[in-house]
Amino acid sequence: MNDEVLKMSSVVKRFAQHEVLRDVSLTLHRHEVVCLIGASGSGKSTLLRCANLLETIDGGDIELFGQSLLDPRVDPDLVRRHMGTVFQSFNLFPHLSVLENIALGPVRALKRPADEVREEAMTLLARIGLQDRASEFPDRLSGGQQQRVAIVRSLAMRPSLLLLDEVTSALDPTLVGEVLDLLTDLAKSGTTMLIATHEMNFARDVSHQVAFLDNGVLIEKGPPDQVFERPRHDATRVFLGRVR
Amino acid sequence: MSSETDAAVPDAPPRLFAPRRRLLFKGRNGLAASLASSAALVAVILAILFATSGGQSFRFYFFNPHFLWIALRGNPLKAVGSVLGGIVTNIWIFLLCEVLVLLFGLIIAWVRVTTTPLLVPFRLLATVYADIFRGIPFVLVIYIVGYGLPQLSLGALSNQSPAVYGCIALTLTYSAYVSEVYRAGLHSVPHGQILAARSLGLTQYATMRRVVLPQAVRTVIPPLLNDFISLQKDTALVSLIGVVETSRAAQIGQETYFNGSFLTMSALLFLAMTIPMTRFTDHLIDKDREKRLAGAQ
Amino acid sequence: MRHVRLMLAGILSASTFAVVSTTGAVAHAATNPSLATCKTLITSQEYAKGKLTVATDSPGYTPWFVNNKPSNGRGYESAVVYAIAAKLGVASSNVKWVVEPFDSSYVPGHKKFDFDINEISYTADRAKAVTFSVSYYDVNQSIVSLKTNPIVHHHTPAELKTYLYGDQIGTTGLSYIDKYIKPTRAPRVYSTLADAVLALQTKQIDAVVIDTPSGQYMATSQVVNAKQQAIGAQVGQFPTVGEHYGLLFQKGNPLVTCVNVAINSLTSSGQLKALQTKWLGIYNSVPTIKP
Repeated sequence: MNDEVLKMSSVVKRFAQHEVLRDVSLTLHRHEVVCLIGASGSGKSTLLRCANLLETIDGGDIELFGQSLLDPRVDPDLVRRHMGTVFQSFNLFPHLSVLENIALGPVRALKRPADEVREEAMTLLARIGLQDRASEFPDRLSGGQQQRVAIVRSLAMRPSLLLLDEVTSALDPTLVGEVLDLLTDLAKSGTTMLIATHEMNFARDVSHQVAFLDNGVLIEKGPPDQVFERPRHDATRVFLGRVR
Repeated sequence: MSSETDAAVPDAPPRLFAPRRRLLFKGRNGLAASLASSAALVAVILAILFATSGGQSFRFYFFNPHFLWIALRGNPLKAVGSVLGGIVTNIWIFLLCEVLVLLFGLIIAWVRVTTTPLLVPFRLLATVYADIFRGIPFVLVIYIVGYGLPQLSLGALSNQSPAVYGCIALTLTYSAYVSEVYRAGLHSVPHGQILAARSLGLTQYATMRRVVLPQAVRTVIPPLLNDFISLQKDTALVSLIGVVETSRAAQIGQETYFNGSFLTMSALLFLAMTIPMTRFTDHLIDKDREKRLAGAQ
Repeated sequence: MRHVRLMLAGILSASTFAVVSTTGAVAHAATNPSLATCKTLITSQEYAKGKLTVATDSPGYTPWFVNNKPSNGRGYESAVVYAIAAKLGVASSNVKWVVEPFDSSYVPGHKKFDFDINEISYTADRAKAVTFSVSYYDVNQSIVSLKTNPIVHHHTPAELKTYLYGDQIGTTGLSYIDKYIKPTRAPRVYSTLADAVLALQTKQIDAVVIDTPSGQYMATSQVVNAKQQAIGAQVGQFPTVGEHYGLLFQKGNPLVTCVNVAINSLTSSGQLKALQTKWLGIYNSVPTIKP
């Protein structure tokens, strides 16, 4: 079986008359971490939402483990169980406790037995040091804690890859670190991730590939050293100049 | 730069005290003021009720202890039913109908928001239904249902007691309002919740049931309770199709004795039912408000 | 001397007699004025001076009114009002009609009319709140049902108790059901007569109890099916229980005295009977049954 987990080929996405993604091609390999950088509105979030079929694309193809997701027989719910998604605004379920948030997916979508799932969830919480907060409700946690719970919630589904959409952008600067640390950990343990981010240092340290999006066009992609130190395109240079 | 900031500092200390007449009502003086206005209001009401000649006949007609007592126990000899007995009819009607309304309203709301292709023609039907039954005054609905269904000769449906027709009319009307409340509640759930739930791979049904509905319902409990209180009072209109419930029993008492204390007793019984609910609803609203204002970290 | 004393006694007794009889006559005239006196007396007692303001409910049913227009003089009650007006010297153009719903008519309080005519039966309870004139019609209650209902053929006193009755709130028909028929199932009570008729038509109740003339009209014209055919049946009328209709006045209204004079005059002259024969004659053919 080949190494490609997610393959997006010439993806086109339009909102009304406006083309938000133009011919974007991106491949994510097993254990690879790819960071998407670019200005707001460049299409990073849209690309991620197309990847997990929350948006339908208008052109091109998306393949998961070599299977086209555009096949009409494909069930989007099944597809999404293979992809964990973490959002900028955490989106934890406020009416469920932290533990129940994590357990909901495996129990209701994967139909796994509840006690097994709970145990696993506690383990995951322990991994991020929040096992004591298991029965509390999300609004009692800090932003950084909530986002880490959100990450763990998607990990509980044992997905093949993680999609992370600017997960630190809504956080207090002092809380960003704990989330980035967790992501670094995950990267080190080989989790396949596609991360849209503004955190340039983090992108540089953690990713295997960096992709720069500008106005829906994938301008360049390459190893972090190359993209950050020796960008091949003017647009990249301009962008990097503004964010340093 | 220095000249601008210097100009901003006045020569003499600025006037910081509130005008005297406002000071009059602060602190302990404020308490005295509120006591005084309350006492004045009570005095005016008592004066109207007890000191005017109209007040005396008003009390005789509406607050007559002798007839208040007869209203409670009834007088079989004069074919005057007890107002208290009548309210049993109102109670079972609203208990039964409220359950039906909550269920039916939810179904209508679901049909209106769902995107399942199978249910799409029903979406239009549901919208038309909601428009009709929110638009027609209930008094007309109950006449049409109460006299119309029997006329249609639809088998079992045309052979029920008027109380059942009353319940049908109440359910049809109130489900329309309640479905709107549910819909608002469903829309009030942040879209991110749905994104997160679907991203986990939960089906549309599971998302609705485990994530959206629980949140929506919490939001809509106060308006639902308000609709419920309204329903409790509207059970009185079942009298229009022949049911002798509490307000009709009160009217019969009034017709027989020419005293309105029967109506007063019926009103008091309604208040006994509805006030606990209104207090509880306000309490829920206040609690929710506290949570929202204190919650976000 | 005896002559003088006799003369004095005579003059004294004559003058006493004169005084007594004059006051007596005056008093008699006050409680029993002549029609002539009334004609001038009533102008001070009318609600709207110069007019006779008469109230009734809307719609006004046949045979009491015709086409719901009391002012056309047709129908028994309309005719009676104009006959009374004529006796009191009030021109028909000065008779003004206003609307008063039936069950607010006999509630105590200030009335905005001279009297109300609306098949209102005298009852002792009602007379505590309002003043009634003398009878202008003696009432029998009757049963109206559908032609297809078993009550048409089965109405012994015991059988009558088994049916489900319905009636308008506050009517003597309703109290007749409660007092005399005493059915096993409590009767249904409706806000208006029209609702009770509708309930009868839709077979939700077996029968309505109502005065014989109204019942006659109801059975032959009001109770209809989809094809506008009359499907009602007046099963029978009950023996009189002394019920009668009176005109209704605000409590203590002095106008009742003169109106009673007018009614008594119509009765004794046979005019009232003639009006009854003209407008209500058909009721004589309705069979009598027992409650």
